[in-house]
Amino acid sequence: MSAPILEIRGLNKRFGPTQANRHIDLTLREGEIRGLIGENGSGKSTLMSQIAGIHIPDSGEMRVRGKAYRPRDALDAYEQNISMVLQELGVIGNLPVAVNVFLGRTGRFTKCGIVSRKAVSRATEELFTKWGLPMPPLNQFTGDMMIETRKIIELARALSVDPDILLLDEITQSLSLNNRQKLYELLEKLKSLGRSVIVITHDVEEMLRITDTITVLRDGEVVGETVSSGTTADEVKRMMVGREIGGDYYRADNRPEHGDELVLSVKNLSVAGELDDISFDVFAGEILGFCGLSDSGIHSVGRAVFGLSKAAAGSVRLVARDMDITSPAQALENNIGYVPKDRDTEALMIDASVLENFVLPSLGKLAGAMGFISSGSLKRLASERVAKLSIKCEDIAQRVGELSGGNKQKINLGRWLVKDPSLLILDCPTRGVDVGVKAYLYSLMKEAKRNGIAILLISDELPEVLGMADRLIVMKGGRVTGMIDRGEAFTEQAVIEVMI
Amino acid sequence: MKKFPPGFQDIVPFIAFFAIFIFFMIASHDERTGAFRMLTALNLRTVLDQTMLTIVVACGVLFVVAQGSIDLSVGVNLALSGVIGMWAAHAAGVPFLVIPVSLLVGLAAGVFNGVIVSRFKVPSFMLTLAMLIGIRGLVNYIQTKTHAQRLPDELLFLNTPAVKTAIFIAIVLIMAYVFEFTRTGRYGRAIGENETAARFVGVPVGKMKIVAFALSGLMAGMGALFYVVTVGSTSQQMGVFLEMRVVMAIFLGGVLVTGGFSARFYKILLGSFSIQIIINGLALVNKSDALISQSVQGLLLLLILLVSSLAGKRTARGDDDHTATSGQVGPR
Amino acid sequence: MRKGLSIDRDEKWRTPALFFILFIVALAVVAAIAHFLTGGMFLEARNAQVILSNSIYPTFIAWGLCFLFACGYTDLSLGAVVILGSFASCAFGNLYGYPGVVLGGLITGTLLVFVNFTIFAFAKIPSWIASISLAIIYEAVAIFLRTNSVTKPYVDAELSRNFRELGQFPVNVILLVVFLVIAYFLYNRTAVGMNIRAVGENKEVSRVLGVNIPGTLLWVGLICGLFSGAASVVQQSYNVKTFAMAGMTSIVLLFKPLAIALLAQILQKWIDIIIAVPFCSLIIYAVFNLMTLFGVPSGTLQDVFLGVFLIVFGIGGQKKTRGVVK
Repeated sequence: MSAPILEIRGLNKRFGPTQANRHIDLTLREGEIRGLIGENGSGKSTLMSQIAGIHIPDSGEMRVRGKAYRPRDALDAYEQNISMVLQELGVIGNLPVAVNVFLGRTGRFTKCGIVSRKAVSRATEELFTKWGLPMPPLNQFTGDMMIETRKIIELARALSVDPDILLLDEITQSLSLNNRQKLYELLEKLKSLGRSVIVITHDVEEMLRITDTITVLRDGEVVGETVSSGTTADEVKRMMVGREIGGDYYRADNRPEHGDELVLSVKNLSVAGELDDISFDVFAGEILGFCGLSDSGIHSVGRAVFGLSKAAAGSVRLVARDMDITSPAQALENNIGYVPKDRDTEALMIDASVLENFVLPSLGKLAGAMGFISSGSLKRLASERVAKLSIKCEDIAQRVGELSGGNKQKINLGRWLVKDPSLLILDCPTRGVDVGVKAYLYSLMKEAKRNGIAILLISDELPEVLGMADRLIVMKGGRVTGMIDRGEAFTEQAVIEVMI
Repeated sequence: MKKFPPGFQDIVPFIAFFAIFIFFMIASHDERTGAFRMLTALNLRTVLDQTMLTIVVACGVLFVVAQGSIDLSVGVNLALSGVIGMWAAHAAGVPFLVIPVSLLVGLAAGVFNGVIVSRFKVPSFMLTLAMLIGIRGLVNYIQTKTHAQRLPDELLFLNTPAVKTAIFIAIVLIMAYVFEFTRTGRYGRAIGENETAARFVGVPVGKMKIVAFALSGLMAGMGALFYVVTVGSTSQQMGVFLEMRVVMAIFLGGVLVTGGFSARFYKILLGSFSIQIIINGLALVNKSDALISQSVQGLLLLLILLVSSLAGKRTARGDDDHTATSGQVGPR
Repeated sequence: MRKGLSIDRDEKWRTPALFFILFIVALAVVAAIAHFLTGGMFLEARNAQVILSNSIYPTFIAWGLCFLFACGYTDLSLGAVVILGSFASCAFGNLYGYPGVVLGGLITGTLLVFVNFTIFAFAKIPSWIASISLAIIYEAVAIFLRTNSVTKPYVDAELSRNFRELGQFPVNVILLVVFLVIAYFLYNRTAVGMNIRAVGENKEVSRVLGVNIPGTLLWVGLICGLFSGAASVVQQSYNVKTFAMAGMTSIVLLFKPLAIALLAQILQKWIDIIIAVPFCSLIIYAVFNLMTLFGVPSGTLQDVFLGVFLIVFGIGGQKKTRGVVK
């Protein structure tokens, strides 16, 4: 066995009320490719970004080749040959590719304070050639380039430090098949050079294929470590969730069922650059799942149905009211609810109180004669529901930003359920909440289904959609590539075949 | 960051108000007569008149500030409304025409602001600054043609304290109701807290922005009426520096620049009195030095902003606000 | 919002050189027509030189604004800064000759804008409102200096005849070219320039890539201050005497540079923004010169047009921006 290159002992990291990493121990060896896996919010990305110097641990220690390693920032980590490709980070759109690769490190191309564009381009060219990456036009701004191209530029940036440890957070999902192949070859090459890699990916099968060992995280803690060749996908998943999948966590039944009433009918919907000719129906009491890779357009469906994006063609028809939804205000008026993907920036007013956040969608309902809204009715509504949903907060005047992710999400979902909507759009509703809250949110969904609410469940977690949906729409590149009913063929294997 | 006890933010404006009041009351003490010059009937009347004007205009601007935007064009809107209103009244020979015309002109300017801000995404401070210079140029041009216009005698009754106060109270009550107890007010504040979240909940953000700027313009038109009724005529100085007075009144009352639920109606009443006492007090103490008054106002504004940004229990998201409110146009 | 399935727009060739030539030709044609319409007054040597000389100091301020915009900030106190810088340039120029003219303006400008940026960077106040309050303060200081009996003789004076060359043709044009080169390299070819643009585009990414954000902001303050200082020097040398008034009038001074910078921002898709600025400056000043020649009253109706230009350029530049704008 080769020598350890990175040792992590007792690492802790807290973000406000959330303990993102709890007493993490991890040892990485030279030439090892390690997979890091866990559900959303289990602390994988946090762990990686601490190794990369982007976040500073609260306590615990890291050692690289036996020496204490305490990176001050990302550049400091770069200097010690450790670099990372982040999941949701981009490139600087108004700078050329070559400058992007060496941003912040242009010192060695500088003479008398003037950066030589030529030298930067040449170095970038060498870099792409050396690692066998497809080369974009080096002097063009990155702003207009495809997500895939931009991701490759980020990868080149990480490789430019000639890394001893390379950290890759969800990079494969934005790559096409042949570039994925190139990435696998790259990993092999790094391994043969004795370099180490830590990879995060949602695709368990892929992870088993490309890694040597796998570390499983749950709720910020390491819950297992295993050799990739000696385990199965089911085994890994069981460790991730912490119990048998199925049972009372997801739905118990295995048959699609819904009411007779058609709630929503989407016909030939297209949104420029996002969706291409989407059609589907959803009935009362039906959970319609949407899955696909993150740029497959599943999130755009949610936005488009709620009237947030301008449809280039087609219609979103609310059948019961016999009208087309074209604006979010209209969607709100007509009792549609929407739980967006990004809780803190798209859904909640972080600096406002629990009360203000909770009542926002209900203001129209509470307005009486001359638009009067009494503060008493608002308080009553909020405090009743906060108690019913057992949201942990000091009182309803507390700032939402001080609550944990799970409690925030209960507000986010609960404020729509109180309105008894006819249609509920849920975009990644369990993102970044712990297992307990997750189970609770699923029970709320089941209750909503029983009450005849039609639900669009959009999620990048396959087990969740498989566990909850009556019907499943698989998307790729903004198009529908398949539709599967709940039943025999409702397995990850079947879905992945359609998905890729 | 140091955490202040709850409600700190809300108490400061009150403390500031009383401190300012007592300071200038004592400072205005006249050694010779032994009277407080600030408290003479005549001076109080002046302060009240000025404060009423500030409050009326602030009533509208509050809606804009609550959304995290700003309206720096109210001063010139007031001038334009007044000048055109009076011109229409004189030209048509119908004195009462000044009322609907002033209000309509103010409203139209406000709607224009709102449409440009919501539809074309021009930062509001930039747009309203451009309006500030453009409309001021227009007003000056009109005034070179019309000169100062006297208020028709038929309207002089409006300047009696009873009538004016009654109208003032009615306006304040209506605006307070709309701001505190209707969807319009609450949606506006939600936009100030997080515009994306408001839009994603289904708040008609574009419409609300137009409504806010329209109310701001309408109240500037109303302010024009208060001005001409009180002063008795239009003038070159109409509305000069008023936008800053109003903005300071709002911030001094404890509303944050970013708006949101920190915006409460009572705060503009408090802030308007505070700023007017400062201006009046400075004038009393230092007779004619407008210069000191201006520098004090500038420093004060900076100080208010600093205190509220430090005391605010806000998430460390402050960085975003720079880009959100700056003139960044940027290539995409 | 997410770019979604945007296609690589590599095939869309931009030919900056061609556009630039067309742009110049178009300007020449329009100028010739204007010349004809004004009965031969517009391009007459003296008038043309007035336009050129008038447009130079605003060009410097507009460059400063380009750096501000690039990193996502606005400083509305630059007008007041230029007034104070001009005072310093005048006072020290009359005392110490050319070194006083140059250093007085440059140091005052740089220092004040640096102070501004220290405030923007460390107090979390939106820069536009913070800079308005600073503008009010600086204006008051300027008036104080001009009316105070001790400082009045120094600042409320004309710059000595011997030291006015920097604002006169052709020295001012040489200065323009020198600063054009400096601005171009700072903006496009230095680490600081790249960092500034990176911070403006995406603060979070920049931070993670190791760009020192507060440090970069202070650099912007320095650069913008330098250009404001240079503007002061040229302004004082050209106009000889500087006036200061109260009531946010200094912000009004900033409107033409603002219009110039916004117009350059619209053009930057085809022409480098730094190079576009002097041309935009010429355009703006030529347009206002034409208005005067056509008898549009200055100060009133011309201000209306300036306001309209600002709004139109503001809309033009903002068109592509998505997301939240307050």
